[in-house]
Amino acid sequence: MARILCAWEFGGDLGHIRRLLPIARELRRLGHEAAFVFLDLARLGPYAAEGFEWFQAPHMRLPPKQNPSPLSPSDVLLNLGYADAAGLAGALMGWRSLFGLWQPDLVVCDYAPGALLAARMRATPTVAVGNGFSLPPPAAPLEAYRPWNPVEANVLQRLDEKLLATVAKAFEMLRAGSPPRAAHELFAGDSHLLCNFAELDPFGPREGVEYSGPLADSVSGRDVAWKAEEHPRIFAYLKPRDPRFAAIVAALRKIAGEALVAAPGLTDAQAAELSSDRVRVLPDALKLDGILDSADLCISHAGPGFAARSLLAGVPLALVPMQLEQFRIARRLEAAGAAAMISPDDPPPDFATWLTDIAARSDLREGARALGHAHRGYDFDQAAARAAQRIAAALPG
Amino acid sequence: MARIAFAWELGGEFGHAMACSWLARALQLRGHSIAFVFRELRQLMALPETAAFDTFQAPRPMREGVAGAPPASYADILLGAGYADAEELTALLVAWRSLLRNWRPDIVIADFAPTALLAARSLALPRATFGNGFFTPPPLSPLPAFRYDEAVPPQRIAASDAKALACVNAALAAVGEPPLARLAEQFEADEHFLCTFPELDQYQNRPATGYWGPRFRFDRGLDVEWPVGQGKRLFVYVKRTMPQLDLLIESLARSPHRVIAFIPDLDEARRARLAAKSRVVVDRPVRLDRVVRHCDLMICHGGEIGTGALLYGVPQLAFPITYEQFLTARRMEQVGAAAWLAPGAAARDVAGAIDFVLGEPRFAAAAKAFARRYAAFSPEEQRRRIIQRIEAILTPSPTGREASQ
Repeated sequence: MARILCAWEFGGDLGHIRRLLPIARELRRLGHEAAFVFLDLARLGPYAAEGFEWFQAPHMRLPPKQNPSPLSPSDVLLNLGYADAAGLAGALMGWRSLFGLWQPDLVVCDYAPGALLAARMRATPTVAVGNGFSLPPPAAPLEAYRPWNPVEANVLQRLDEKLLATVAKAFEMLRAGSPPRAAHELFAGDSHLLCNFAELDPFGPREGVEYSGPLADSVSGRDVAWKAEEHPRIFAYLKPRDPRFAAIVAALRKIAGEALVAAPGLTDAQAAELSSDRVRVLPDALKLDGILDSADLCISHAGPGFAARSLLAGVPLALVPMQLEQFRIARRLEAAGAAAMISPDDPPPDFATWLTDIAARSDLREGARALGHAHRGYDFDQAAARAAQRIAAALPG
Repeated sequence: MARIAFAWELGGEFGHAMACSWLARALQLRGHSIAFVFRELRQLMALPETAAFDTFQAPRPMREGVAGAPPASYADILLGAGYADAEELTALLVAWRSLLRNWRPDIVIADFAPTALLAARSLALPRATFGNGFFTPPPLSPLPAFRYDEAVPPQRIAASDAKALACVNAALAAVGEPPLARLAEQFEADEHFLCTFPELDQYQNRPATGYWGPRFRFDRGLDVEWPVGQGKRLFVYVKRTMPQLDLLIESLARSPHRVIAFIPDLDEARRARLAAKSRVVVDRPVRLDRVVRHCDLMICHGGEIGTGALLYGVPQLAFPITYEQFLTARRMEQVGAAAWLAPGAAARDVAGAIDFVLGEPRFAAAAKAFARRYAAFSPEEQRRRIIQRIEAILTPSPTGREASQ
């Protein structure tokens, strides 16, 4: 049976591990050996008992100055250390040694350009997986992240060229042949798997692409239940570090009905302080099954995991994205008629009025219900099995 | 022939990579296979011989040193490096064990690499430490304080030790291994290549032990000649992030002295301000063995380059930034061969410091006396003995560890 390495380098939060862990479990069930190479290993700590092997992905030094609003996927990599040929060559040497040691037959890359490049050096097949953000459409130059802020094409072109020049220099330092000739090759594998719904693809909708559906870790989270029959029932999943957090919680206390706020990162005391009879603020991740189905409105940053959950539950969304990926997902949900949003650059509204209005909008309710209906019967475990089968099918010979 | 894995987990700069590479290359020439499991791989691009080794990224936490107070003991360093969270340390430990299990070393050489030692111990692999005194804590329980510029309550030392030990034991349990009774057991090894001298050991509370002498490599780098002229000869190696960099550059630029300066990644404006006929500014490491023979003063942060130069009788002006450098600078001051300035030192002190050290013959005299005391020290002989000891550990003897197990 085959040996399959699952690599994740960039991007925060839990989305990447929630994708790769179910895939690895399913690959194992198919009789393959799976291991992880992660930049942020800490996420794997709770899963030691499952007996997977894992390795540290090579670190790169960040440049002294970083652009807080990178223009394109190439710009992001340049901001993450890809402007430094020696640093990149060191990292690629690390990847190459690891592949030489573990001898993967296939590498699954979840936003892992270093793994893609090293696999290219030794002609190991790759499958790139992701929700879409790390798989930009293969345009040349790579498209601007914010098409609503026009950027001259030659600016984007120069970013791609700078990236490719550093990569070529690093390949030369390692005496490796055939560096990539187009920037999209740093993101695309030999094949790819868009683990998302088309409606949530930050770069969607794309033509001629199969969406194999989002993955999620089915366990995890504390059990809670709605208390009473008061409506609207509002479920919020928010990061307390968002500057709008306090105002949103305060607004929920003004609105009739019942609210549950999952705010991982708060202390127990902070959560208790913010809670009232009708508004319960909880410092943990919550088990969403059974809660979302009977909610009238969800509030979130439009992170891809929660967006998929609320889409399946057919619940409309009030979205307050914090960063670009979330913003692009929020735009997609808005376009699908299932959400309203406040962009990170907008001045915060009067949240009580904003939320009351959204909760009353029948068009959003119907839009959300239609989306949920379109994906009725979707099963995360089956999606993981499907993804693993697709990956196994990409194995050579 | 044996498989030898070098692990470097904490700290920065070039010293670890240079010292390990020097030893590893000699081991490789004797037929051993080498792996480097390193905190930073970028440095290896400047060490071409390492292309013949397997090179892996050492497991490291995403956030380091976020613990509140500055560290006072090795346990505090651990708490800032993933040892405050059992799940995080478990993840690091699994990653070390995965790598060691797959690469199958016969011995692990740990250069400031506590989790590599823990993983090697849990896999019953032979192991040795390799580094200066700061990297190898004395085998005491709790691991003792190294801070002595302020009072450290013993309860704080004990609490940090207990917290790190609890985390270690939770991680060991998660991988099905028995717990440690004391945190110091994590550092038990078949040999400690303690690469310093007792006068320079950052720990002044270490029980009697053997010392193997400093390990900074002076025999590679860019060949540079001292500029011709009459002034004193000053070698400068500081980081561009040093708080008093501009003051230092001004002092040097106004002085009549001859200067060779290596300030990595120095911006053009500062480089232009410093460079002159009598002041060479270079952009890569300098080969020091010839330079220090005629050097009147070394200006550095006080790391291993400082203690290395002391062996050539060169007095020091140190600008320590890290606590390790501070301890080293203090030790060189106790030897009588160095003065040092804290990061917050006043401008007039920085301006006067160079002439002060050059003007007081006692600094040069103490440095020369130190060099005479260790005149017989030879880096080549040090390396020969280290290799001999490693090979002895690798060769089970009837009375050795194999028999005793």
